[in-house]
Amino acid sequence: MWETLAALPPAEAMRTGRWLYAWVSAAHVAGLALLVGAILPLDLRLIGLRRDLPLAPLAALLVPTAATGLAVALVSGALLFLAGPADYAGRWLFWGKMGLVALGAGSALALHLGPGLALASPARRRLAGALSLAAWAPALLAGRMLAFTD
Amino acid sequence: MSALRLPLSAALVAALALPALAHHGWRWTTGDNIELTGVIREADLGNPHGVLTVEAEDETWTVEVGQPWRNERAGLTEAMLAPGVEATFIGEPSADLEDRLMKAERIRIGERMHELYPERS
Repeated sequence: MWETLAALPPAEAMRTGRWLYAWVSAAHVAGLALLVGAILPLDLRLIGLRRDLPLAPLAALLVPTAATGLAVALVSGALLFLAGPADYAGRWLFWGKMGLVALGAGSALALHLGPGLALASPARRRLAGALSLAAWAPALLAGRMLAFTD
Repeated sequence: MSALRLPLSAALVAALALPALAHHGWRWTTGDNIELTGVIREADLGNPHGVLTVEAEDETWTVEVGQPWRNERAGLTEAMLAPGVEATFIGEPSADLEDRLMKAERIRIGERMHELYPERS
């Protein structure tokens, strides 16, 4: 199955291109910067910091920024994965990171598809903020460490 | 928040192991060159860097070579970095020699020397 993925034209281009891998890495970093840079302040507000700042305009700015960052990171991440599918698939750190990404994205999705940020109870907001922090901070670290571990 | 503890401790362990495992740059190497002659047994070429498994007498080494553009610039084709090819690798080993890991600066195949890092020689 991993060999099939590695034989796809975009996988071949990622492995052999002169600049493609570098540009896709750069896009991945940009996506992470947008995602984490936006979600972190929002999460801190949700768990109870800076309650003097109104939540609605804060969320109106930070939620689409984080969602855009996540979309960029997912597409570029899929391409980076294609450069060596079997390598990544054989590593527990990779799957741990994917689990954290699923936790972070899933918790945000559940909140937005459920009550929505504006109508959620304070306890529900605190839970969403805490889950999000617990997912994205270690996911970022785990992703970076993938480059430095076997 | 036990969901946080496992990934964090794992990342910490990974961070501590970092100097020995980092592939990028030359900081993890000894700073001195060694020469390794052997037969390529496995080749995993491509971005972000190519990795060869080389059998040299009774030892098995992992030799890091260049990305496709660097190998090509040095005049190395995929057929020259393929299993069965005998070559001499000149480069820096990991500071811990027990790793049996080196990063090639140049590769000699037959009579021809291929410079992966011309600026380092």
